[in-house]
Amino acid sequence: MLQFVVQGRGGQGAQRAGEILANLFFREGKYVQAYATYGGARRGTPVSSFIRVDDKPIRLRCDIENPDIIVCFDPSLLNAALLKGTGAHTLVLINSAKPAGFFSHLGNFRAVTIDAKSIAQANGLGRIVNSTLVGAVVGLLGEPGIDALTSVVADMSPVKQTENVAACLDGFRLVAQGGALHVAG
Amino acid sequence: MRKEHTRLLLNGNHAVAYGVRLAQAKVIPVYPITPQTPIVEKISEFQARGEMEVELMTAESEHSAMSACITASLTGVRVFTATASQGLMLMHEMLHYASGARTPIVMANVNRTIGSPWGFWPDQTDSLAQRDTGWIQYYCEHGQESLDTVLQAYRVAEQALLPAMVVHEAFYVSHALEAVEVPDQTIADRYLPPFDPPHRLDPEIGESWGNTVNQDMFHRHRHDLGQAMERVPGLAREADAEYKKLTGRGYGIIEQYRCDGAKLVLATMGSMAGTAREAADQLRSAGVAVGLLKVKLFRPFPTEDVRKALQGVPKVMVLDRNFAPGTGGFLHQELKAALYGMENAPSVHGYLAGVGGTNVSPANILELAQAALTEGPAANSVWKG
Repeated sequence: MLQFVVQGRGGQGAQRAGEILANLFFREGKYVQAYATYGGARRGTPVSSFIRVDDKPIRLRCDIENPDIIVCFDPSLLNAALLKGTGAHTLVLINSAKPAGFFSHLGNFRAVTIDAKSIAQANGLGRIVNSTLVGAVVGLLGEPGIDALTSVVADMSPVKQTENVAACLDGFRLVAQGGALHVAG
Repeated sequence: MRKEHTRLLLNGNHAVAYGVRLAQAKVIPVYPITPQTPIVEKISEFQARGEMEVELMTAESEHSAMSACITASLTGVRVFTATASQGLMLMHEMLHYASGARTPIVMANVNRTIGSPWGFWPDQTDSLAQRDTGWIQYYCEHGQESLDTVLQAYRVAEQALLPAMVVHEAFYVSHALEAVEVPDQTIADRYLPPFDPPHRLDPEIGESWGNTVNQDMFHRHRHDLGQAMERVPGLAREADAEYKKLTGRGYGIIEQYRCDGAKLVLATMGSMAGTAREAADQLRSAGVAVGLLKVKLFRPFPTEDVRKALQGVPKVMVLDRNFAPGTGGFLHQELKAALYGMENAPSVHGYLAGVGGTNVSPANILELAQAALTEGPAANSVWKG
């Protein structure tokens, strides 16, 4: 089973990022389970999205304590509670312009940073970084294909489909082709 | 038989909305509240797209929404509403009225912590605190079960002329996107006949409800209500069996999972049954004979089925994601009462786990199972995390 945690703040699109990943793997024929929790139900408060992907039906109904991948929309959310279950196997993708080494003191995990905020802004998306970050996640995973992902992103973007697909591709390419992306760990 | 359905990626709340669409509810009075809101949002979308012919009424409060449900139901139409937590609390008075008026309303409740303090977390105390209002209550583990249970609930409610609550928890079910098989309308139509009650509010007929009565009439009315409730386990078993014939899916009013020869049975309701299933498998793999009893129908409590399921089992461990101060876990209380006087009844260990929405992982359940296997039972529920 592949387990993701997407951590963001209300209004950044973390819940939608989880839904995009769930749809992507669902269309690939996998069993998925994705849900989000939010403490404050308002903009700016932390939102966690949990995604499980498996080849068999998923029965667990609990939080993901040992994620394979954490997608962090905002470095201020990289606290002990989020990082508790991480280890050398965990990939932590952080939306930050800083090099990944900047976060290596936080724990024994593989950190990857991407300046998704700049990519989103360059694509006319303001602070909506989810399409860039899901592109980067799929680039890091190496599966499923980018065409499948951009098709889901286009279908699930309520507005600015072209811009979201472009940002998604930018995120994917940075990872797949090695761009202004920082890896440490 | 060919299974006719569409497989969609839906969250638990949207799955409920599909169930309501299939049941073709005609009047839906609502007062939206988190985390229930996606249910009525989806129904509103169905209506806007012309896929559902329904009167969707927004009321000024949940109390008024339930009042409207009762009146609409008495005119002989199929009625639905949905709520959660504070909203259900505000409905409380009218919940009693709905069962007293014998209105087969189906309501979805999304379990959420009750204030104060404020929260949106999965905890079953809101609906369980309504256990004495005369409503049938079903607890569901996942979105597919919630959709299927909406249809079953209408069938049973309309046969017994009692209202029914279909309950699932916040986030773990309500907001969990999963593959759900939505039966074709033809299947639902074969399963659920049109609602055609023997009595209704209709100027042509000239009947009325809610008149002042004397003590004897009231006494008889309460007795009738009790007898209607007593019919429900049988009706619910039959409704589930018929549903399984049409769709291939059935749940029972209780479910026994790997209970053969079990020295310990985990008993729980709702979403935790999924995690407990995983824990039971892990324990069985480690050579510890552990099974799961999932209580799906909570009201009326399936006493006969539970007693049969636990015959010969030495220990039961109840996991309650709910808490009544002064009495403890609801399922723990009910199970103790159900087993009272049974020969060789199992010892019952009541653990409060996940109250307030705290996480309960398979590892937590393994630890609790070890505790139950070594500890003696306590009369009251024990806080375990």
